[in-house]
Amino acid sequence: MKKRWIGYAVWLLLVAGLYFFENNTGTRVVLLCSVLLPFVPLLRAAFFSPDGPTKEKEAAASMTVGTFDIPETEETGNIRPYVPGDPVRRIHWKLSSKKNELLIRETAAGTETAEKQMNVSQSSRQRKSGRRAAAVFVVGILLCVIMLLLIPGVRCGAQELCNRLFTASEAVNRYAYLRFTVPEGQDILPAAIILVCAFTLLMGMALMLRSRLTALGIMAACTLFQIYFGLAFPPWINIPLYSMFTVWMLRRPVRWNDLTACGVLILLVTLSVAVFLPGVDAATETASEQVRDRLSQFTEQITGHVAETPAGETETRHIHTRSLENGDGEAETGQEFRLVTAEEEQISMPHWINWLKAVLLLILTALLVVLPFAPFLMLNKRKKKTAENRKAFESENTNMAIQAIFRQIILWFEAVNAGAGNLLFRNWAAVLPEDLPEGFVERFARCAADCEEALYSSHPMPEQKRRAAMELLKETESALWKRANRRQRFYLKYWMCLAE
Amino acid sequence: MRKELENVIREMEKVIAGKREAIEKILLALLADGHILLDDVPGVGKTTLAVALSRAVGLSFRRVQFTPDVLPSDLTGFSMYQKTSEAFVYQPGVLNGTNLLLGDEINRASSKTQSALLEAMEEQQVTVDGKTYRMEDPFLVIATENSVGTAGTQFLPYAQMDRFLIRLSLGYPDYEAQMTMLRDRQGVNPLDEVRCVMTKEKLTGMQREVRAVSANDVILDYITRLTMASREHEAVEVGISPRGALFIDRMAKAKAFLEERDYVTGSDVQAVFRDVCAHRVLLKEPGDSVDRVLDELLKKTENPDRRGLFAGMKKQ
Repeated sequence: MKKRWIGYAVWLLLVAGLYFFENNTGTRVVLLCSVLLPFVPLLRAAFFSPDGPTKEKEAAASMTVGTFDIPETEETGNIRPYVPGDPVRRIHWKLSSKKNELLIRETAAGTETAEKQMNVSQSSRQRKSGRRAAAVFVVGILLCVIMLLLIPGVRCGAQELCNRLFTASEAVNRYAYLRFTVPEGQDILPAAIILVCAFTLLMGMALMLRSRLTALGIMAACTLFQIYFGLAFPPWINIPLYSMFTVWMLRRPVRWNDLTACGVLILLVTLSVAVFLPGVDAATETASEQVRDRLSQFTEQITGHVAETPAGETETRHIHTRSLENGDGEAETGQEFRLVTAEEEQISMPHWINWLKAVLLLILTALLVVLPFAPFLMLNKRKKKTAENRKAFESENTNMAIQAIFRQIILWFEAVNAGAGNLLFRNWAAVLPEDLPEGFVERFARCAADCEEALYSSHPMPEQKRRAAMELLKETESALWKRANRRQRFYLKYWMCLAE
Repeated sequence: MRKELENVIREMEKVIAGKREAIEKILLALLADGHILLDDVPGVGKTTLAVALSRAVGLSFRRVQFTPDVLPSDLTGFSMYQKTSEAFVYQPGVLNGTNLLLGDEINRASSKTQSALLEAMEEQQVTVDGKTYRMEDPFLVIATENSVGTAGTQFLPYAQMDRFLIRLSLGYPDYEAQMTMLRDRQGVNPLDEVRCVMTKEKLTGMQREVRAVSANDVILDYITRLTMASREHEAVEVGISPRGALFIDRMAKAKAFLEERDYVTGSDVQAVFRDVCAHRVLLKEPGDSVDRVLDELLKKTENPDRRGLFAGMKKQ
């Protein structure tokens, strides 16, 4: 229990440190890292977690406690009734007084090892898949970085992509300005209050739902909202908001591993962004300046004299600067003026936007690199599996052959959703669909019995049983293919690789 | 099904109508060389069933009506001083020379008597005054337990319940069965009509054959997973013991033998699982149903057919 509070305290300290860091440097590291937070659990699963999945463990812990409502289930471990001979100092006095019988607090170490033994196969499998996912992710990121570094075309393209993304958001901003005009003397405070209320409401709902996925979704929505509308909340809202999300998403109680993973991730991202992408906007500005120069050259060539900026624009700008100088609010009128101010705000958008762009870009490229290959890898594996199974049909060992054939039949049934799940195969006959050809169910039952014999007995099966099974397989294939709809056929052919 | 076993069932059905399933299970326990606990209300034919079985198979039959003052020495025998020979002479108890023992209302016996019986069940021998006496082979105990009217009774401790192979409940007969029973008993006692259709030697031979039935690793894996799942189930306080797992295996073998196979299949295990395990599982909540838990275990644990077929594929 103490450890948990230490964890929270460390986390709070970290958040506070970040807050001061942000205030002093004008960066937005927390916001930036929120994009990467989903990968923290993944990394944790890959490299750190030596024991089973958290959720199950929590469930198991709460289960052993049963009906008693104890918040610190993980530390207290199992509670069981007192048996003569138990050490007296391990009696859970508080609960005992509640329950009116003596209850013993079992040592956490003992229960944990037992749990470990129980979950060992599951957790190792999960760790393996987590590791694989992490490997794919890391390789993707590395590929992106290398490509960004080495190929100038990719770099230019990426920059352009980023700029497009943000131009789109600017266009939306512009539309919003034109469409929803703000009346005269309108204060921005009520709107802000409404927004904050809405967010608090959402947060409360999510907290009540108590699911990490919701946290992730809301966080993503919040981040996207901020990015897309170029509307960043001030740090005193953002930091508590995101730290809340983070604490929520991390394993409870917060462990050192999580914190280190978080810290390392933040550091890595900050460094890589600072090194590799030192300012997208500067590049765009130079490019646009060049274009403007060339345009003016063209106009010069065509009209014969130097092109000038339209008079109205300079005037509004003029008014604006003057009003700023005087601190005179009266002059801020008219749509045109608002447009210009918006443009100016866009131009003077803070520096951290670049970082955000870069991170988005990294993730996007990683996805683009990894995703296209995934289906091929998967399909290849399936194809190989089917081919292997088909090879076994002709095997010398008739027992193995009958098993392989029957396995194929079962796969067919399951591919068209006509299987019966965890029932014994001999009991499948009763629940098979009704529109199968006549006598099929009896033949299936016979074949299931053969398969059972092949699987469980030690004597070899006669050759004709293999032939019977083969015939049943052919019959199954034709019958199921006939009754399958287009989607199922696609699934059978390309996903399961069963039909030829 | 074997002809001899079919005959035994037919003979027994003369006395107890409409209970073929229960009779089959009792035969299975007999073949698997295990003991039976009948848990039922009074008067549904527990004793009749035991007598009919002993007659049909040709076993020597004895019966003990347990009360709180039945003593261990009544079961195991005792030594008594004889003046004529001036020596202690062993007087055999109920257990000696008996093949089939019906222990009526075992929960009314004192705990020392219970444990004397249960030791004999486990070891098939009794020891009196340092001398060990082997008991007849085969040896089967059918113990009955009344679930109503439990005044002055000693419940069987969980550890001793575990030694019975199966716990059965006959239940009331349906309309047809009861009508036949009443009709049959108008003139004669149908117990007299039960013929002996098998011999002791044949039965021991069959028991040997049952032991020779093969259960391969897929089945053993299934039994292990089932029992382990029972220990980890959320509603279960004490799950199925390793002895329980052994008993499932033995009972499944008997079931395979009854169906004339020399290998155990997944369906055999599933068929005997409930009867073997119902009395081995202690639940946390007293109101919870054991059958529900066992059904859930069967439903959730991956069946051996599928495991054997698809896990083998991964190995290749």
